[in-house]
Amino acid sequence: MGTTEQKPPRRLVLYVAGQTPKSLAAISNLQRICSEHLPGQYEIEVIDLKQNPKLAKEHAIVAIPTLVRELPVPLRKIIGDLSDQEKVLVSLKIGDE
Amino acid sequence: MTPYVDDRDAIIADLRVRLAEAEDTLAAIRNGEVDALVVRDDQVDRVFMIEGDGQSFRTFMEVMDTGAVAVDERGNVLYANRTALALLGRTLNEIQGRPLRQAMDVANAGKIEELLAQSGSLRHSMQLLMADPVDGDRHYLASSTQLRVGTVTGHAVTFTDVTERVRAETMEQGERAARAVIASANEAVVVCDRDGVVTHANAAAQAVYQNAPVGRRFSEMFPLVFPSATGLLQTDDLVEMAVSGSAVQGIEAVATEAPDVKDYLVSAAPLRVAGDQISGCVITMVDLSQRKAAEKHQLLLMAELDHRVKNTLALVMSISARTLSNEDSLEGFHKAFTGRVQALAATHNLLADRSWSNLSLKDVIASEFAPFVEHSAGRIHIDGLDISVAPRAAIAVGLIVHELTTNAVKYGALSNETGSISIARLSDTPDGETLEFVWRETGGPQVREPKRKGFGRTVISRSLQYSPNGSCELEFAPSGVVCRFAIPAEDLTTERKIFGSPEAMKGRLANSKSS
Repeated sequence: MGTTEQKPPRRLVLYVAGQTPKSLAAISNLQRICSEHLPGQYEIEVIDLKQNPKLAKEHAIVAIPTLVRELPVPLRKIIGDLSDQEKVLVSLKIGDE
Repeated sequence: MTPYVDDRDAIIADLRVRLAEAEDTLAAIRNGEVDALVVRDDQVDRVFMIEGDGQSFRTFMEVMDTGAVAVDERGNVLYANRTALALLGRTLNEIQGRPLRQAMDVANAGKIEELLAQSGSLRHSMQLLMADPVDGDRHYLASSTQLRVGTVTGHAVTFTDVTERVRAETMEQGERAARAVIASANEAVVVCDRDGVVTHANAAAQAVYQNAPVGRRFSEMFPLVFPSATGLLQTDDLVEMAVSGSAVQGIEAVATEAPDVKDYLVSAAPLRVAGDQISGCVITMVDLSQRKAAEKHQLLLMAELDHRVKNTLALVMSISARTLSNEDSLEGFHKAFTGRVQALAATHNLLADRSWSNLSLKDVIASEFAPFVEHSAGRIHIDGLDISVAPRAAIAVGLIVHELTTNAVKYGALSNETGSISIARLSDTPDGETLEFVWRETGGPQVREPKRKGFGRTVISRSLQYSPNGSCELEFAPSGVVCRFAIPAEDLTTERKIFGSPEAMKGRLANSKSS
């Protein structure tokens, strides 16, 4: 996934399961939200748990897709395909102010 | 995220976060916002697809010839099979997760958006035209049906290649138009295959031999004779030449075996339906009967004119010779000869006025009387002779009446002030019989038969003898000259035109050539 220009301490991890409809929708929604509202602010990593299920342990992932805001703390999880843009933006901006 | 054991507030805060997370997860699962779960089985995490992963369906879709694309409710591509990717010219990576419309050109993108906007469970379809680098434009029928994949609602979009069907329809329309053109043509149009077997024939063509020729050989159904080709060209050759690529234009032919024998102008051209390959020939036959009839009529008119000129010259020479032998002086000859030629001219004028068609006996007789009417008003009675006769009878009657009139003016009923002449039909003549009428002079000086038999009497007795049924008998009765006319029946047909029946015309033509 895309990287930002200045390596900020902000990092998002999106957990998906292969090419399920919700996974595809979550990837496409996250790309759109970040490019439209948070350009260059986040480093995004997409992890396919279907290929590597062990990685679920790190963030104790139960449902897929799940977006984890790893940095800045506090850690935040947003579960679902990220189609509710307002909810996503509110969660991502917590602690920014 | 290590909790501080000794900090109860921190523990409570951490538990609240975990509880909120657990509640979020449950709500997301219940609301269908996730389609996979991580399940711990024997200390190993596995991914479990809700309602399966659809892999078996994808395998099935991959082998389909129909293009299939699954899109979510916003129109983003979830999956596209091999056929769909080929017709879109994209890879799965290029279009997955992106709007389907972005994989298409502007015109088709609009149609796809419209198609996906149609809500409900009904199937909606639309025709698309896509450029194919190999095969030109191809036509697709795009259909959309509502689809539920796992927890996702979207659309199944299929693309069915209907190019062949569209092309077949276009060809059929073209063929229908071509058939309509052939059917509407006034000329006979016949289409044959490479073997010379008739595949199409319009109504005009079927009328030539009054048959249904489709499925039979052209040469059998339309036997033609080509008079100008002196037997070298046969009907089969015509078809063969056209099928081999040589067009044959405007050959005159006669449909000799047709119920209504007619002349035709025949053309044959190779039929090229696709590319340069000749699939048969098209033969057109233009009815020449009217033109031929006009040509024949003109030929006959020329022959008739020639015939009449010769006859008239012979008549004038005869009149001249006979008048000369019967007149004693040059003055007498001049007067008699001029009078007779004028009588001939009077009838000719009438004939010319009527374009050499039939004349009324009354008109012919009246024209001969014309020079004397001024002095003889009320003394000449013509009765029942408003009857049409052929030109040869008119000329004969004209010459005879001239001789009788000249005689009446000199010696008979018109030589005094009291005489009169009656020219009357004897009785009603039934069809097909000789017409008789009588010239009768009364009130004139007493008549005695002249001793000398001049040319005038020869004219009277012989002019109508061109037919065995025609005659003219002169009687010198003491009370006045009586002359009985018999006009041959064949010269009486009132409807008949100048040349009579076609057979008579042919006979006339033959005679004039030999004379």
